Amino acid sequence: MLLSVQDLAVRFHTEDGTVHAVNRVSFDIDAAETVAIVGESGCGKSATSLAIMGLLPPAQASIAAGRILFAGADLVRLPEKRMREIRGRDISMVFQDPMTSLNPVLTIGRQLTEALSAHERLEKGALNARAVELLRGVGIAEPERVIGRFPHQLSGGMRQRVMLAMALSLEPKLLIADEPTTALDVTIQAQVLALVADLTRRSGTAVLLITHNLGVVAAMCQRVLVMYAGYVVETATVDEIFDRPLHPYAVGLLHSLPNFEDSAGDDLVPIEGTPPDPLEPIRGCPFAPRCAWRIAACWQENPPLAAEHGNPAAPGTHAVACHNPVTAEEALKGAPLRPGFMPAPAPSEATAR
Amino acid sequence: MSQPQESMATGAEAPPLLSVEGLAVHFPITKGALWQRHTGAVRAVDGVSFAIDRGQTLGLVGESGSGKSTLGRALVRLNAPSAGVVRFQGQELPGEAGAATAALRRRVQMIFQDPYSSLNPRMTIGAIIGEPLAIHGIGNAAARRDRVRELLETVGLPARSMDRFPHQFSGGQRQRIGIARALALRPDLVIADEPISALDVSIQAQILNLMKRLQQSLGLAYLFISHDLAAVRYISNRIMVMYLGRIVEAADAADLYARPLHPYTVALLSAAPVPNPKVERSRERIILAGDMPKPSETQRGCRFRGRCWLFRRLGAPEECQTRDPKLMPLSRDRSVACHFADRVDGRVEQAATTGAGE
Repeated sequence: MLLSVQDLAVRFHTEDGTVHAVNRVSFDIDAAETVAIVGESGCGKSATSLAIMGLLPPAQASIAAGRILFAGADLVRLPEKRMREIRGRDISMVFQDPMTSLNPVLTIGRQLTEALSAHERLEKGALNARAVELLRGVGIAEPERVIGRFPHQLSGGMRQRVMLAMALSLEPKLLIADEPTTALDVTIQAQVLALVADLTRRSGTAVLLITHNLGVVAAMCQRVLVMYAGYVVETATVDEIFDRPLHPYAVGLLHSLPNFEDSAGDDLVPIEGTPPDPLEPIRGCPFAPRCAWRIAACWQENPPLAAEHGNPAAPGTHAVACHNPVTAEEALKGAPLRPGFMPAPAPSEATAR
Repeated sequence: MSQPQESMATGAEAPPLLSVEGLAVHFPITKGALWQRHTGAVRAVDGVSFAIDRGQTLGLVGESGSGKSTLGRALVRLNAPSAGVVRFQGQELPGEAGAATAALRRRVQMIFQDPYSSLNPRMTIGAIIGEPLAIHGIGNAAARRDRVRELLETVGLPARSMDRFPHQFSGGQRQRIGIARALALRPDLVIADEPISALDVSIQAQILNLMKRLQQSLGLAYLFISHDLAAVRYISNRIMVMYLGRIVEAADAADLYARPLHPYTVALLSAAPVPNPKVERSRERIILAGDMPKPSETQRGCRFRGRCWLFRRLGAPEECQTRDPKLMPLSRDRSVACHFADRVDGRVEQAATTGAGE
C-alpha cells in the first residue's frame, strides 16, 4: 500500500459559516495503480487532493479528522519541512489551470531546472540537458527553444505539458492529477493521457486522477471513487462502476452522458435539481433531494459506505452508501422500475399533507 | 447571386433558413505602436460555405483555434466578415446597420459558453431577459414583464426569479437565463457557442434536453458549436468539422461517426475517450503529433498534413504538399476536403474510432 487515506474530514471556514468539504473519506492506492475520484464541482474531490499534498490554505481550511498514511508516515501530522521534501520528490501534482502553478516571470527552463535542483544535485549544463529531455518526453517540439520562453508565450496545451514534465521530472511515487485535461482539446488530451499511462508502466508511479470525465476514467483507471457533497457514495473497479453501478447518483451520471451511439431521437436522463448548498447542514443522505430512488429513511439518516453488494469474484471491491441501491435492470433504464414506487416526499412535505 | 432569388420567384425550392457562401474573417496582424503597419492576417475563418434548414441542428466541431467560435460570432456580426455572403431565407444580410438588417438580426440570436460572464451582474433577471424587447421597443413595460414571465416558465425557472440577480443562480440556471434572453425576440435560429462546456455533467444533460424540447416546440434551428463530440452527436442532424479556418468534412451526424472520411475527423473521434472500459481497452488511439499550427502561418498544400497520419502513411504524397484540398461533395449529404479520402474508407484507423474495430 502506497497511500492510505483514513476517515479524512476537511472543513473550510468562511464568513458565512463552515463548509464540510470532505467527510469520512477512506481509500487506498497501490503502487502503479490509477484511481479516479469522480464528482462534480463542490463534491470535495479537489479538497481531498489538496489535503494529501498538504496544500490546504491554512487560514481557511483545516483537517478536522483522519489520517493520510504515505510510505509509513502520517502526512497530516508531518512538519511542513518534511512535507516540502515529500512534495515534488515523492508526490507531485498537476492542476487544471497550468497558469496558476507556473511562475509567470520565470522562463520554462528556469522553472524546470529549479524543480530538478531542489531534489537532485546536478551541474548547470546537466540540469539544462535534463530539462530539454523532459520537455521532449512530453511531446513538445523544439524543446531547446521552449526552455527560453515564458509561460504566457505558450499555448494552454503546451503549458499543461510543461507542468506535467515538471511533475514527472522526479519520477514521483504518486502523481495527483486534478482535472489535468479538462482545459485541453481532445487531441492534446490523448497525448497527455498517453504520457501518464506510459509513466505508470515505466516507473510504477501511482496516479490519483480527479476528473468529471467518465471517458477518461474508462480509458485510464483501475478503480473509481464517486463523491457527492463531500462523501464517497460508491467505490468500485472501473468495470463494476460502468457495468453495475449501485448508487443512484452514479447511475444518474452515466445516463447524463450522450455517447457516440446516441442519436437525436434518444433522450438523456438528466439528474434533476442542483447539488446542495455546502453551507446548509445536511440531514440524511445528501443526494436525497435529487434522487428518484429515495425512501423515507433517506431523509433521516446518511447511509454509511458498506460492501453489502460485493462481487463474489473479488470481494470488497464494490461498496455503496445507499439505503435503496439501484438494481441491475434499473441501472440500464436509469429509473426505478418497482411497480408503484414513488420517491419518498421530504418530511416537511409529508406533514403538510 | 441572383440565382437564389430567381428560384424563390418561381417557387421551385424554398431557400434554406440560413445560407453562407465563402465566408471569411481575417484579423490583421499589425506591427509598430504609432504607425501600425499591416504585416499579415490571421485567417481565422477562411472561406466557409454551408446552409441550415428550419428546425434543424447543424453541429460545428473543432479544436480551439479552429475558428469555430469566430464563425458563429460572424453570423451575428459580432465579428465583421472580411468576405462572403450570408443569406437569411434567401435575403442577403448587408454588412451595414440599418432597419432591414436589424429586423433580420432579431431572428438570429446567440447563447454563450460562460453563463457567469455573459450576464450583467448588476441587472435583475427580469431586466436581462427583457432587454432585447426593450431595445427593439416591443410592448410596454407590463407586456414585457408578462413575456419575461412566460420565457422563464419556458426554460424551467420560477417566475419569482425575475427580481433576483445572476449571482443568486447556479451555472445551469444561468445558462437557462441566457437561453430565455436569446428566445425573447422569437428567433428562428440560435447560435449556441459551447453552451454546456462550463457546466457539470449532470447539468449538461438538463440543458441539452431543454434545447431539444425548445426546438420541437418552437421550430428553432441551431448552430451548435462545441468541442464535445458526444454532445454534438446527440443534438445535431448534420455536423461540420472545422480545422484551421476551413470545413474539412460535413456529413449527416450518424454517418460522420460511423464512417469518418477525413483523416482529421478520424483522429478527433479516436482521441475522445468513450465511457466504456471494454471499448477503451481494446481500441488503438491515433495520437496526433504537436499542436494545430497558428492560422497566421500560411502554408502551401493541405493545412492538416503536418499532423496527418495518412500523409505519413502514404509516404508524404506530392499532392498534399502542393495543392490545398477543396471541400468536395462525395454524395448528396457528404463533403470532404482531402485528396485521399478514399484511402481512409475501410482502414483500421477508421474502424477503431468508435470501438467497432474489435
